[in-house]
Amino acid sequence: MTDTAAIEVSDLVKEYGDLRALDGLDLRVEDGEFFGLLGPNGAGKTTFIEILVGLTRKTSGHAEVFGHDVVDDYRNARDAIGLAPQEFNVDRFFPIREVLEHKAGYHGIPPEEAGERADEALKRVGIYDKRDERFDWLSGGMKRRLLLARALVTDPDLLILDEPTAGVDVQLRRDLWNVVRDLNANGTTVLLTTHYIEEAERLCDRVAVMDEGSVLDVATPEDLMSRGTDTITITLADQPREVPAFDRDAVLDAAVDGDRLTVRVEDGGRAVADVVTALQAAGHQVVDLDVSRTSLEEIFVQMTGDDASTARDGDAGDGGASDEESPAQAEVSQA
Amino acid sequence: MSVASSIPGLSTGTVTLVRREILRYVRRPRNTFLPPFINNVLYFAVFGVILGERIGSYGDAIPYILFVLPGLVVLGAVSNGFENASFSIFHGRWNEYIHEVLTSPLSYGQTTFAYVAASTLRGVLVGVIIAVVGVAFTVAHPAYDLVSIAHPLYLAVALTLVAALFACIGVVGGLWARDFDYLTVLNQFLIRPLVFFGGVFYPLDALDGLFYTLSFLNPMVFTVDAVRYGFLDVNVLNPWLSLGVLAGATAVVFAIDVALVKRGYGLTE
Repeated sequence: MTDTAAIEVSDLVKEYGDLRALDGLDLRVEDGEFFGLLGPNGAGKTTFIEILVGLTRKTSGHAEVFGHDVVDDYRNARDAIGLAPQEFNVDRFFPIREVLEHKAGYHGIPPEEAGERADEALKRVGIYDKRDERFDWLSGGMKRRLLLARALVTDPDLLILDEPTAGVDVQLRRDLWNVVRDLNANGTTVLLTTHYIEEAERLCDRVAVMDEGSVLDVATPEDLMSRGTDTITITLADQPREVPAFDRDAVLDAAVDGDRLTVRVEDGGRAVADVVTALQAAGHQVVDLDVSRTSLEEIFVQMTGDDASTARDGDAGDGGASDEESPAQAEVSQA
Repeated sequence: MSVASSIPGLSTGTVTLVRREILRYVRRPRNTFLPPFINNVLYFAVFGVILGERIGSYGDAIPYILFVLPGLVVLGAVSNGFENASFSIFHGRWNEYIHEVLTSPLSYGQTTFAYVAASTLRGVLVGVIIAVVGVAFTVAHPAYDLVSIAHPLYLAVALTLVAALFACIGVVGGLWARDFDYLTVLNQFLIRPLVFFGGVFYPLDALDGLFYTLSFLNPMVFTVDAVRYGFLDVNVLNPWLSLGVLAGATAVVFAIDVALVKRGYGLTE
C-alpha cells in the first residue's frame, strides 16, 4: 500500500443538459483496497466509472487514478485500469483470444507476451477451450467471464467491475468472486459496483453508498448491514394463539399468521438461535426456518427516504437489477 | 506499466490497432475486395471497351480505356478509404467495442493515425486491383498497347495521399453518423457527386468557363488529375500543385480528426 490513492476524486460533477448525474462527488479509494460502490439505478455509479476510464467527459472537478489525472495524464491513468463493464462491448470481428491479444497490445504489451497473457486470462476465468470462438457464439455466462478476462489481460493495478454478477447464476458468481478475491489478495485494487449488499459484505473492505450523484456515506459492509433489519420467518408445527415472548433487545417486532411467525431483528445471523431457543422453551416445534437479510432497498429507504428500487431517469448506464433475487437470497432458497 | 517507453516511432499499441484494422478487412475479401473487382470489370467492359471505342479523348491521342483507368483507380481508392474508416469507427461505436480502444492508453493522435493508416492501405490496395483489371482489359484488346506508368513514384505518393485524404474524411463521417443511414447518405450525396464531377469520366477542359472554374472547389479534381498525370503524363493542373493541395488537405482533415477524437465527438457522450 502506498500513500498515493488508487482513486481520488473531489467535487466531481457531470451534467447531461439539466440532469446532474454526478453532483460534487468526493471519494478516495486506497491502493490495495477492495472497495464497493452501492447505489440504486441512476445513482451515478457508471458515470463515475466512465469518467475514470475516459468514456465520459467530466463537467468539472478533479479525478485521479494512482496520481494520474484522468484528463491531463489520461494515458497513464487508463493504462492502470482494467474494466469489466456492465454492457457487452466486445469486438465481434475476432475470436476471443485475438480480442484479448488486441487489448493487451493497445496497452503496449508485445505480441508474444500478449498471446501468453490472453491464454492465461482465458484459463483463469475458465473459457480457454472457447478461445477460437467469436463473442456472439458464447453463452451469457461465458460472455460475462470474457469481460473479466479482458480486464485482467493487461494486469491492471486497478480492476473495476461494474455490476459483474447482475443476472448470472450461482456457480458463475462464486467463480467470479474467487478470481477477484485472489487478485485483490495479490495487491490489485478492486472497485466493485453492485446492487447486492450481500456481495459487498462478502468481498469489500469498505463501501460507499451513492445516491443522486454523490456519496451519502462510506462505511464497512458490517456497519452498513447493522443499520438495516433482517427477517426470520418460522413455520411452527402448531398455530400459536398469540405472539410468543422474546428478548426485546434482540427482536424489534414479531407477528403471527396461522402457523407462520415473522420476526424482525437487527442481525438475523445472531438472533436466530435465541429466537429458536425461546420458541422451544415456550413449547413450540419449529418445522421450517428462513432468514432474509437486510436488503439494499431497505437501507436506502432508511438513508434517503426514497424507494431505491425505482430507476431514475437519465442514467441508462446503471442497469436495473434491484428487483432480482439477491445472491444471498438465491443461495438460501437453493440450500 | 509506463507507456512512456513505447512512444517513439510507432508504438506497440499503434501497430496493434493498425493490424487489427487491416485484419478486419483482409479476412473478409468477399465484402471488401470482391465488390470493387466486379464493379470495375463491368466499368472497363462497358466504358472502356464497348463505349470507349466510340469516345475520343485528348484528340484521340489516348484511348478512352486508358483515360478512364486512372479515374476509376481514384474512384476505388477514394470510396474504399472513406468507407473503411467511416464503417469501422461507426460499427465500433454502434456495438460499443470501440471502448476497447478508448479505454486504452493510446493517444488521440495514435488512435486516429491507426484508423487512417489502415483505411488508406485498403484504398491503395483497391486502387491497385482496379489498375490490374484495367491493364488486363487493355492488354487483352487487340487495338491497344501495354500500359506503362509515366511517373511511378509520383503515382504512388499521389494515390496514397488520395486514399489518406478520404480516409480522414471517413473518420469524420464515422464519428458523425448516428445510424447506418448516415453512412449511406454520405456516400450517395457527398462522395458520389464529387467523383462524378471530378473528371473521372471526362477531361476537365471539356467544361465551359464557369463550370470549369467551379470544378476547382472539388478536391476530387486534384486527385484525379494527379493520378492521371502519374499514369499517363497528361494533366490539366500543375502536378506539384495537385500534390500540394492533396497533402495540405490531408493534413488539415487529419488535424480535425484528432481534435474531434480528443473532444470525444460521437464517442464519449
